[in-house]
Amino acid sequence: MIKSIIFCLLLVSTLSYAQTDWVKWDAVEVSYKISNASSKIIITQKQSPDSGIISFLRNTYAFFISDLDGDNCPFYPSCSHFFVQAISESGMIKGPLMFADRFMRDLNFFKSKNNYPIHRIGKFHDPVSNYTLNEQVIEITPIGSIGD
Amino acid sequence: MPMIITYSDMLCQDSSKDLDLFSYKSRLKFGNHLYFEKDYLRASYEFREYLKYEDNDTIRFRFANCFYNIGRYIEAADNFKSTFYNSTIQDESRLAYFKSLFFSGDFNLFRNSSRNEIYLPEKYLTEVNRLYFTSFLMDNSVLPDTGNFISAFPDSNKNDIRNFYIQKKFPQYKSPTTAALLSSVIPGLGKIYVGNITDGLTSFLVTGVLTFLAIDNFKHKHSFRGWLFTGLGAFFYAGNIYGSAAAATIFNAGVKFNFDNDVKSYFEKRNYFLPENNL
Amino acid sequence: MMKKFLCKLIFYFLVSLVSVQAQNEFSSQFDYANTLFKTGNYFDAITEYKRLIFFDSTKTYYYRPYFQIGICYKAGAKFDEAIKYFSISELNSSDDLERFDSKIEIVRCNILRGTTSRAHQLLNEMELKYTGNNSKDSINYWRGWAYMFEDDWTSAAASFAKINPNHELKLICDRVEKEKVSVTFATVISYILPGAGQIYTGNFLSGLLSLGWNVLSAYLTINAFNADRIFDGIAILTLIWQRFYRGNIQNAEEFAKSKNIDIANSALINLQKQFRGAKP
Repeated sequence: MIKSIIFCLLLVSTLSYAQTDWVKWDAVEVSYKISNASSKIIITQKQSPDSGIISFLRNTYAFFISDLDGDNCPFYPSCSHFFVQAISESGMIKGPLMFADRFMRDLNFFKSKNNYPIHRIGKFHDPVSNYTLNEQVIEITPIGSIGD
Repeated sequence: MPMIITYSDMLCQDSSKDLDLFSYKSRLKFGNHLYFEKDYLRASYEFREYLKYEDNDTIRFRFANCFYNIGRYIEAADNFKSTFYNSTIQDESRLAYFKSLFFSGDFNLFRNSSRNEIYLPEKYLTEVNRLYFTSFLMDNSVLPDTGNFISAFPDSNKNDIRNFYIQKKFPQYKSPTTAALLSSVIPGLGKIYVGNITDGLTSFLVTGVLTFLAIDNFKHKHSFRGWLFTGLGAFFYAGNIYGSAAAATIFNAGVKFNFDNDVKSYFEKRNYFLPENNL
Repeated sequence: MMKKFLCKLIFYFLVSLVSVQAQNEFSSQFDYANTLFKTGNYFDAITEYKRLIFFDSTKTYYYRPYFQIGICYKAGAKFDEAIKYFSISELNSSDDLERFDSKIEIVRCNILRGTTSRAHQLLNEMELKYTGNNSKDSINYWRGWAYMFEDDWTSAAASFAKINPNHELKLICDRVEKEKVSVTFATVISYILPGAGQIYTGNFLSGLLSLGWNVLSAYLTINAFNADRIFDGIAILTLIWQRFYRGNIQNAEEFAKSKNIDIANSALINLQKQFRGAKP
């Protein structure tokens, strides 16, 4: 009796998973690798392709300073990455303005998870795309929740 | 004795039919089983094979409905057309056709089709009409007249619909230009206008302190430091104007996002005022 | 009387004939599904196993098709579904061996899915129920794998040692444990000599640069205090020295952790690609 009840329950619960099969799938090889998610410093920040002086400055700054002075910025991407990304995506006029704004927001002592969504690495999620004045590319994540 | 022979005969016939797991009747049975298990893709394969041998309106409907449930709305819409005429379920098929077009997200196509009036289901005119008006809350088309819009919905929901209509027509946006202008008069004021009070105060303090340092250094004849702080002050002053406009843009995107979410969850909760499909 | 008996006999004969015919049909359907399975056509194989289950009113083919559906889902990395079907197969099993197999498959799915705590829970329950030597070995074997996926190589080695003190996987676990660096040691030596932790984990350049920054900022701080420039001294101390000193410790810890994960991952990838024995 109990067995048949469990059987029915299991069958019913398989229904909720039927949507896995709504698209034909193939075999997948699962990697045995353990994820390195706990690491905050080594996580690769989103970088846009750029060249010349900006790239040189960024690499020099990263090599001599930001890789060595610990984890200081409460934002993701960090202020220096934000600066580089803003300039390479929005140019030499808009980019620095975006950075000046970000810098002042960083100085705000009262910023909290009530103002920014929290990124999965535990920082305030504050992407460059939100500050280009283009409403279409703004990434809205409900405040307090996890970012991408 | 004759009775026994008939019975075993019947058993044989039945089992011989059953034995062929791939006969069209078996496919129908298995297809229906999969359909009710919500295993729609597999069910559609079985129905496709079955329909090669026998015509059945309900199965045609189910075949199309498999695509609808999977989210392949355009395929679903095309297949629902097969039961549009001379069928007992033609109204259901037509409603399902309009539902498919609506949920495909191509609201222009949906509205054009419902304006054409060729396939409108007589039994479900109200439902299609409601979907027609709902679609205006979901994209950026010009809203139709208030009266027609609100009267399409049940009395108990009219207030909510009126609110959505007003929010869509007059969204509570903050103007990026106003925010920028306010911040150019008093640094940080634009951010306070948008609602980011502490960010606004920080901008005010940073630009204020830098201005003070610039003036103070000029007073004490430290002209290099004076110019340095002037430059920094100007940089952050400009950044604060830009940031205020950006904050207003983000605020507006948030208003739009919340409105879209509210509309979606309101209608989803009420199944878009559509009847349950029992086919 | 005789007539009635004859009638009954003919009836049963016909029924059994039908059922034999059906059995053949089901067995060929099972073979067909297995062929699809063997060619890696998992989605279609599931359809055919489901067809068999649907039509098999005799329930002869119940355990095996359900079990096979579980294996198919597992191959598609759809572990939630796989576990559901293994559970159903377990309920339809006819003996302890079949039940054990289903349970082990559920454990393997949990290991692959990353829910190793559930795998341990199931293995503990199984340990109480199955006391045979073979079962025990199997339980310890999968426990070892669960520990490896948790990055706990010492416990994994202990589990494999219970099967055989010189078990191939035990030796691998020992080697990995030996290769790993100590996170605590890296952090502690970085407190004493900035940069030492980074050098210990093999990041020489980063270690030397850290040491350089710390020496420079310490020199500037002490210099400022010596020259009675207290404000400058405090500014350099808090803005530069403290920042690089803390950064050096954070880096040492992160580098050590990351190196350990790299060591574990290279071992796991090696096992995935090279190891010939049973894998999750």
